[in-house]
Formats: sequence, structure tokens, C-alpha cells
Amino acid sequence: MADVQLTGITKTFGAVTVIPDLNLSVPDGSFTVLVGPSGCGKSTLLRMIAGLESPTAGGIRIGGTDVTDAEPSDRGISMVFQSYALYPHMTVAQNIDFGLRLAKVPAAERAARVSEAARILSLEAYLDRKPGQLSGGQRQRVAIGRSIVRHPEVFLFDEPLSNLDAALRTQMRVELAQLHQSIGATMIYVTHDQVEAMTLADQIVVMKDGHIEQVGAPMELYDRPASEFVASFIGSPKMNLLPGRAIARDDVKIAGIRPEHLHIESEGQWRAVAKVVETLGADTIAYMDAEGLGEITVRLPGHIRLKAGERLALSPEAANLHLFGHDGRRMEHSA
Amino acid sequence: MSRSHFWRNFARVAVLCVVASFVLAPMLATALGGFKSNAEIRMNAFALPQDWDVSFYGAILADPAFWRYLGNSLLISTGTVALTLLVGAAAAYVFAQIRFFGSRMLFSYMLLGLMFPFATAILPLFIKVRDIGLLDTYWAVILPQTAFGLSLAILLFRTFFEQLPKELFEAARIDGCGYVRFFFRITLPLSTPILATVGVFVFVQSWNNFLLPLVVLNSREAFTWPLGMMQFRGEYVTEWNRTLAFVTLTILPAIVFFLAAQKYIVAGLTGGAVKG
Repeated sequence: MADVQLTGITKTFGAVTVIPDLNLSVPDGSFTVLVGPSGCGKSTLLRMIAGLESPTAGGIRIGGTDVTDAEPSDRGISMVFQSYALYPHMTVAQNIDFGLRLAKVPAAERAARVSEAARILSLEAYLDRKPGQLSGGQRQRVAIGRSIVRHPEVFLFDEPLSNLDAALRTQMRVELAQLHQSIGATMIYVTHDQVEAMTLADQIVVMKDGHIEQVGAPMELYDRPASEFVASFIGSPKMNLLPGRAIARDDVKIAGIRPEHLHIESEGQWRAVAKVVETLGADTIAYMDAEGLGEITVRLPGHIRLKAGERLALSPEAANLHLFGHDGRRMEHSA
Repeated sequence: MSRSHFWRNFARVAVLCVVASFVLAPMLATALGGFKSNAEIRMNAFALPQDWDVSFYGAILADPAFWRYLGNSLLISTGTVALTLLVGAAAAYVFAQIRFFGSRMLFSYMLLGLMFPFATAILPLFIKVRDIGLLDTYWAVILPQTAFGLSLAILLFRTFFEQLPKELFEAARIDGCGYVRFFFRITLPLSTPILATVGVFVFVQSWNNFLLPLVVLNSREAFTWPLGMMQFRGEYVTEWNRTLAFVTLTILPAIVFFLAAQKYIVAGLTGGAVKG
């Protein structure tokens, strides 16, 4: 069992409080993604779990053991860095092997574990190369290999894919998902990319300014965002956030509607002019100007041909309207 | 190639030749002087010798004292280099890696050594060395040279160490690697360029040091080569040709050392550590 429990975590740097009193539970074997804009404290939180930073107050438990003051190497964790952090003067095999050698693991077992990791990550052909001779994706695999061989209970990933190009990122995302399925260890993953969060996670933690905005399964966050911030952060293209008067209600500050929940109807209640139309094949994304409401994005079926400048009437699916009160929190439907 | 391009290159080569001649001409005169008679040196210092007289070189090479001086110099210089690199790198590593109370003040204090001329310290140094009982030993030269070389070494090392990516240490910490092991296993192997640079500086300075050995070494057995050179200065005549031959032969090891270390000075090893 290696669940991660954070209780009352506070972190201050000098006079600045980065994380005020945070509680989080990461279930055993889950793939939890911490997501949020840069500067929201998600990396700091991960580094505290790793033991690279110590919390100003609060406690961290991994698998039931209090590790708040334990050394990183004694926590049963391993971490993959955004910049890979490979040792440039060592070969791939030595890089993967380094932690095991320090832990005085017998040579035979070390060799077995390295070759197992190399097999999982298809690195067999590169074991004698130096990191400088590898491509970005291969380096990232080596960094992951270095984590795997330690057989940690918790894997920590700090934006591991952000240095890769788009195609490679998609591929590595699939590989990471497969890795999680085959190993079954707890994984905590930090990213600012909501697509990575949606595709990888079975639990997403949305953070903002050191607070947790919402914790839940990807579709839970997508279908029932707890706040205006989560609503705007999760989903692509972004949810339309319209003023309350769009649905003629004064108690509602923001009425949110996702682009795919808008339909063209001749009797539609919102009139809009198409400004830019993106034809993606399966979908057509139209960026429109709604009268008196500002910008609005609509996702239409791919077969609909639309030109810039065309006038349309739109109507939302009432069941998929998200209402947020003046405190920015979700309101339950009462219409 | 265009005309203006040619002249620009020509001018560049010409300037470089002039600069190089400032360095090379005295060395050439020294090497050639070893083949000439004393009278010829006075009249034609830079010309090729009329007769290539190899007897002076031969006599020096055949003299066991010459080899002893060279051996002493080599021992003292390599000792100084090894000690400076080890102590300097370790101190700089602490300054670069660990934040502790007073670290900046301590660092500035170390750097004060850069402004302290060696010659002014020579008398107190002699007294200290005598009191400790190191007179006439290799340590009498090695230890003060190391002490004076440290400030420059620490300055250069710290700058280099601070540029090593922080994630390397964090990754190593997660692997279970402490400060000391990280220093020997990661920092030092990645720092060969700066180790070579500082090593060359210290070696050449130690190799050519005259004042300190002169003051603290008394017996001929312990003499370094600059002291050994003095044997050709008589009360009335100085045997310039022997001196020049001697200098030429003793400078060779320093040049060889420089050439060997040169490729490390140029090469950087950090490629591939982080995104590249």
C-alpha cells in the first residue's frame, strides 16, 4: 500500500505563502495529475512530497508512514524531472544503475533490473551511449528507466513531457499510460497542460494560487466544474463564460456553456456573427461575436460549412449550462 | 575571395604574427642561445648560431644535479596542483552548493587573498615555516603556494559549479547520494575543463616560482630548477649560454603539461545533462 496523504501542508518562502494549509489524499495505485497555471504551487507541492523541499507546517505520509522529515531516498519514491537531469558523463546503463549502486544492490540483481527497465522502455540498443548522443525522447526514457529500477512505491513526474515536440509528447503520453497499467504503482504527475491531465489521470487535482480548486475524476471535472476557474481551465476549446444576463438571471454571475453544447437554431436566443472559422475535419470550430455578450466559441459538426461574417442564432442545451454565483463557485440548477 | 576580404585577412594575420613574435622571440633567443658562445650571444642575440655547439646542452643533460632539480620542481609543482585542486574544489563546492550563515562573508574573505602580493608575505612566511619546522622540506614550498593559489581556484571553481544544473543534485539526492559522494562522483568528473584550467595556472606558477624556494630551501638536495639555474652565475661572469640552455630544458615540462591539458580547457562536458 502506498497512498500519499498530505495534511495541513503550508509552505512559505520568506514572507510569501506559496501554499496555505493544503489537504490532499492520493489513493494507492492511482494516476493523480496536479494541474494548474504556472506559479500555482503544484511543482512545490511535488517537491515537498519528494523531500526536496520541506513543508513549513503540516505532515506527509506515504503508505501510512510519516515521511515529513525523511530523506528523499528513504521515502520509497522516485522522480522524473522536466530537464531529465541525467548524469552526462555516465552511459545510459550507468545512469539507470546509479541509485542501485549507491544502495549496494548486488551486481547480478542490478544487471537484471537494468535489463528489465531497458526492455520495458526499448532502450536495449542505447545502454552504452552517453546522454549527449540521445534524442529528447530517448533521454526522457532513460530518466524514467532510472526511476523504474528503484522499484519505488510512488512515481513523481515534474512536467516530464514539456521539453518534447508535439508528436513525441503524444507518443510518450501513451507509453506513460501503459507503464502505469503494467507497474500499477502510485503516480503523481505535475503538468500545466490540461490535455495531459485529462488523458492520463484517474484523479485530477486543479490548483490555483496554492489552493486546491477541485479534486476528481477527469469527466467529473469536465461535467461538473466546481468553480469558474476549473470550468475555464479544463476542456479545449475553453468553455464559454457568459454574463448572467445571457440567461436572464441576476443571481448568476457567470453562465458557462461548452462549445459543443451550443446549437444553431433559427429560434435561438443568442445572435452571433462568425469571425474566424477553423475547419478541423471532424469538427468545425467557430469563433463568434455574440450580440451584447462578447466572444463565444461554438463546436459544430464537421460537415457544416460556415463562412466568416455569417449571422447565426444559437441556443444552449439547458441541461449543460454551468452556473456560477458571485463567489465564483458552482450553483446547482434551480431554474 | 573578394579583394577587401583578402586584405582584411592579411591584416589579421599580420597583427597575430606581431603578437606571437612578442612571445616567441624571447623563447627562440633562449633556445638558440644555448648553442652559442657567450661572445656571440652579446653580439647576435636573435640570429642563428654560427656553429651549433651542443656541448652546453649535453653537459647539462649529463649532470645528475640537473635531473635532481627537475625532479624536485616536478614533485613540488604536482603536489601543489593536487592539493590546490582538491582543497579549492571542495571549498568552492561548499560555497556553490550549501547556503549557510556567513557564507558570503567567508567567500569574500577568501577572495581577499587575490589582492595580497606574495612578496610582502615572504618574511612572516619564512618565520612561520621555520617555527613549524618545515624549512628545507618540500612542504615548505607546497603549503604556502597552495594557500596563495586557493583564492583564484575557489573563485573559478565556484562560478563553474554554480552553472552545473541544480536538478543533477536533486536527482542524485533521490538516488540516495549525499553531498560528499556527489562531489566525487558527479561534480568533479563534470568539471575537467575548469580543473585543467586551474591546474595549468597553478602548475606554471609553482614551476616558475623563484622567491619562495630561495627563502625556504637551503640545501642543494632540495633545490628547484630556478635555484639550480643560479649556479651559473659566478662572482665575476655569468655563463649565459649555459643558463639559456638550462632554461630551455627546464621550461619544456611546463609546455608539455600545458599542451596535455589544453584539450580539456577547450572541451565542455555538460552537453546532454539537461535539455540540449
